[in-house]
Amino acid sequence: MKCAPFEYVRPTSVDDVLAALAEADGEGKILAGGQSLVPVMALRMARPAVLVDVNKVEGLSDLECDDGSVHVGALVRHRTLAEQTAHPLLAEAARHIGHTAIRTRGTAGGSIAHADPAAELPVVAVATGATVTVAGADGDRWVAAEDLFAGPLMTTLDPDEMVTGIDFPVPTRWGFAEFARRHGDFALVTVVVAEVDGDLRIVVGGVGPVPIRARSTGAETLGDELTPTGDLHGSADFRRGLAIEMARRALASAGIQG
Amino acid sequence: MSSLGTSPPRKEDRRLVTGRGRFVGDLQLPRMRHVAFVRSPIAHARITTLDAGPARDAGYRVFTQADLGGIVLRAQSALPSYVETGQPALAEGKVRFQGEPVAAVVATDRYRAEDGAELVEVDYAPLPPTVCAWLPPESPVHDEAPDNVLLERTFDAGDVDATLASAFLTVRRELTTNRHAGNPMECRAGVALFDPADRRLTFWSGTQVPHLVRNMIAELLGLSEGNVRVVAPDVGGGFGVKAVLYPEDVALCAIALEMPGTPVKWVEDRVEHLAAATHARDHRYLLTAGFSEDGTLLALDADVTCNVGAYSVYPWTAGIEPLMAGGLLTGPYKLTHYRATVRGVATNTAPSGPYRGVARPASVFAMETMLDDAAARLGMTGVDIRRRNVIRPEDIPYKMPSRLVDDSGHYDECLTKALDAVGYDDLVEEQQRRRGTDEPQIGIGFACYNELTGLGRAASAGPRMPFRTGHDACTVRINPDGRVTVFSGVTSQGQGLETTVAQIVADALGVGYDDVDVRIGDTDASLWGFGAFSSRQAVIGGGAAHRSALAARTKVLRLAAGLLEADPSDLLIENGVIAVAGSPDVTIGLPEVARVAYLESNRLPEGIEPGLEATEFYDPIRGAFAAGAQVAAVEVDRTTGSISILRWACVEDAGRAMHPQIVDGQIAGSIAQGIGGALYEHLVYDDDGNLSTGTLLDYLMPTSAEIPEMTIGHVERPAANPLGVRGVGEGGTLGPNAVLAGAVSDALGVKIDELPLSPSVVWTAARRAAEDRGVVDEDGGPDRE
Repeated sequence: MKCAPFEYVRPTSVDDVLAALAEADGEGKILAGGQSLVPVMALRMARPAVLVDVNKVEGLSDLECDDGSVHVGALVRHRTLAEQTAHPLLAEAARHIGHTAIRTRGTAGGSIAHADPAAELPVVAVATGATVTVAGADGDRWVAAEDLFAGPLMTTLDPDEMVTGIDFPVPTRWGFAEFARRHGDFALVTVVVAEVDGDLRIVVGGVGPVPIRARSTGAETLGDELTPTGDLHGSADFRRGLAIEMARRALASAGIQG
Repeated sequence: MSSLGTSPPRKEDRRLVTGRGRFVGDLQLPRMRHVAFVRSPIAHARITTLDAGPARDAGYRVFTQADLGGIVLRAQSALPSYVETGQPALAEGKVRFQGEPVAAVVATDRYRAEDGAELVEVDYAPLPPTVCAWLPPESPVHDEAPDNVLLERTFDAGDVDATLASAFLTVRRELTTNRHAGNPMECRAGVALFDPADRRLTFWSGTQVPHLVRNMIAELLGLSEGNVRVVAPDVGGGFGVKAVLYPEDVALCAIALEMPGTPVKWVEDRVEHLAAATHARDHRYLLTAGFSEDGTLLALDADVTCNVGAYSVYPWTAGIEPLMAGGLLTGPYKLTHYRATVRGVATNTAPSGPYRGVARPASVFAMETMLDDAAARLGMTGVDIRRRNVIRPEDIPYKMPSRLVDDSGHYDECLTKALDAVGYDDLVEEQQRRRGTDEPQIGIGFACYNELTGLGRAASAGPRMPFRTGHDACTVRINPDGRVTVFSGVTSQGQGLETTVAQIVADALGVGYDDVDVRIGDTDASLWGFGAFSSRQAVIGGGAAHRSALAARTKVLRLAAGLLEADPSDLLIENGVIAVAGSPDVTIGLPEVARVAYLESNRLPEGIEPGLEATEFYDPIRGAFAAGAQVAAVEVDRTTGSISILRWACVEDAGRAMHPQIVDGQIAGSIAQGIGGALYEHLVYDDDGNLSTGTLLDYLMPTSAEIPEMTIGHVERPAANPLGVRGVGEGGTLGPNAVLAGAVSDALGVKIDELPLSPSVVWTAARRAAEDRGVVDEDGGPDRE
């Protein structure tokens, strides 16, 4: 499959990106790493009229550590996340994203904005209470990660807004566990456990439209909260069972008794 | 020095590993145009409107079935119950599966061709789709077969009913296997060019069967067969999927006739491939087996239904899978009382066709499951029940109940070697130690199988098609410089046939491996070859190369004898030098002999014509069975249903291994493909006939990370053909379904009735087993106390 015709622009500043999106009037789409967008364009399931390539925008590729938090520019590649040491949870999660070629191209901002419920970074963002910086016509605004995700592949972003960065607090204790059919596949279930400022969160990906923040603090009671659906890869019961097991493993690796 | 039995660098690897392979997709010709197919989005419907007007108005060339003159492929079989149906080049009147080509659009590039395809207006009036072959049909796929049964046959030997009635133990099972496909790295591809000046059509195609393609394309398009040239250049995998002549191939060639002088190219993408290239292995087995108290298999009663999809593919027909399943279900086990009714049932899914191992990955799973089930009930091990029943060397030739004749018989030896290779006794000890603990459980699985290879005319491949596939031809030409060019009828999709044929010719002729070049895949260059299927080419194409090289050698020696004034029977030829036995100083080089043959007729001995080449056919008449056994140990994680393969061993009787590295590569690759089918690959249709696994995001292929290290061993028993070889291309695929299902069953103490062994299936089985033991907790996973 080959993609449908589209216009292509490559601005070099955030302001120009926003202007291009505004001009596209809802028909524009940001191209960052292209690892999710380009395949669906090739299938003609996504047909943006204008592709706004942000890869030449300056100032979005930095990764900065400051007091208890890591700021990740929207264009930071998964590979960089996997190799950095300031945020071990982020590094561990990034190592599970796709394969080398995908990690070399794919970006943090792209993954957050794409909002795939099976992707790793949205789960980490919700678990750590990350803050997403969103640029728009009226300037920047800051959105808590759990308020960003609205459904599968849906966010609360406006069509003419852009994610420019994410601040991930560094947890004091953490655990990560996921189950995928093959290494590099989208996980069937991802569980991230993170303790930030004394607040312990268990967040589950792959069992609902968005990353699910559990009310319970133990694996055994988690199952009652989840309402996964069955699909090609297995029944709802199987996913629930996997979530419980991944929660056990994530809690254990965090050094927390489930 | 002999080349056979060693592993010289492969002839094709210089270009393949340096990125200089020549695939159809690489072909660029002046004025070339690109084709995109409009495909049916629904499984079963009448076409009420097909309007190419808007696309034509936008400047596209569009072809429908009417524009192509209504060409229909018809796969034929002389079997009595066979219902012949047609497969149109492009759908006409109705569509029968999602993905069926309905129209073709031609443009300057593929992007624009797909834009044009969107402009073709098609309206469909849906008909009820039939997806499952063992549920009552909703609405006939073809009018000629109201019950959708395209073929049914019963194999019947001995007295099954009486034997079952008196058996000590009877085992009944219903088993289903997962639809999956060969899925080569290179999808299908073709470029067709018609030269109107002399009415010649050239079709570059990634096919496994160029001569068969030429034969039928010429007939369908009304061209002289000599004016059709089919070229299969480098091909990136086939696995049987490319041994079929497809409607897209026919449409592409027919379009070329309508656009004389313009090359038209179609390169299939993965979405098209998963939807419309042939599928396989969608079977159900209803089995009843009777055993004596000591585990002897007494009788087997089988009812086998194969989902053959929407069309009977050319040339193999809807019979290919059911007949193979019935003919070889009993595999390497001795049996007198056997009844199997097999049928091919049409459905509104992609057509099924040949895929590496044809039906036997499923039928071996079925047979081995029955043995494992019986062994468990009788308190025997999986090893003992197999040893009790396998055909032994002293039974050879053994006439199977389906009347095929097994010429191998080394199953116990293969099994024993495989057990040694995995360290069976130690595994059993560790397995016992872990029983009852919360550690991952170990299971051990087995498969014994026989691979029918290199079929000659007496047991020709295919269900009584209008031709016999027992022979191939080869031409060995010694050039004026004394080097050798071989024009072989074989094709290669990665198996290294250029290398193997060169080795055979080098040894038979008495020249160095490096002095032989091999040309394959071009019907203008080779006289005849049926192509790659049924593990036939090493035996048959190799046999033809051997015979032609010997014939060329005879002429070389006659000519040299005249030049040396010696008797031909006193001459030896080694490494391109002809010498007189006993007189090492009297020699002549092959270059000089060749020069005389072509350029210096004044020196030609009396009675010898110019030229130095030979063309011979070879037909082994019968086939050569290749015995095989696989054993593996797995670890099952009951909390996730995932399986880790700890050990894998395969021992096969490949006869004489001509290029041991290629032989081992074939075995390793086929086991990997078998593991893919057992654990990952599954083409799933929903109830409406929509393919749910339409991309590689959902259709999971194994990568090298999923494939374990394996030990490959050999029992080299030369077959009764001039090279002593047995085919080795498919056997490895036959084991993994049975091995892995048996191992999981062994680990968890559960019955495995369906494939693939996805984590969900295994987790559910583990949970059921835990519930039976009363140790499951309320929320989810099996309790880990």
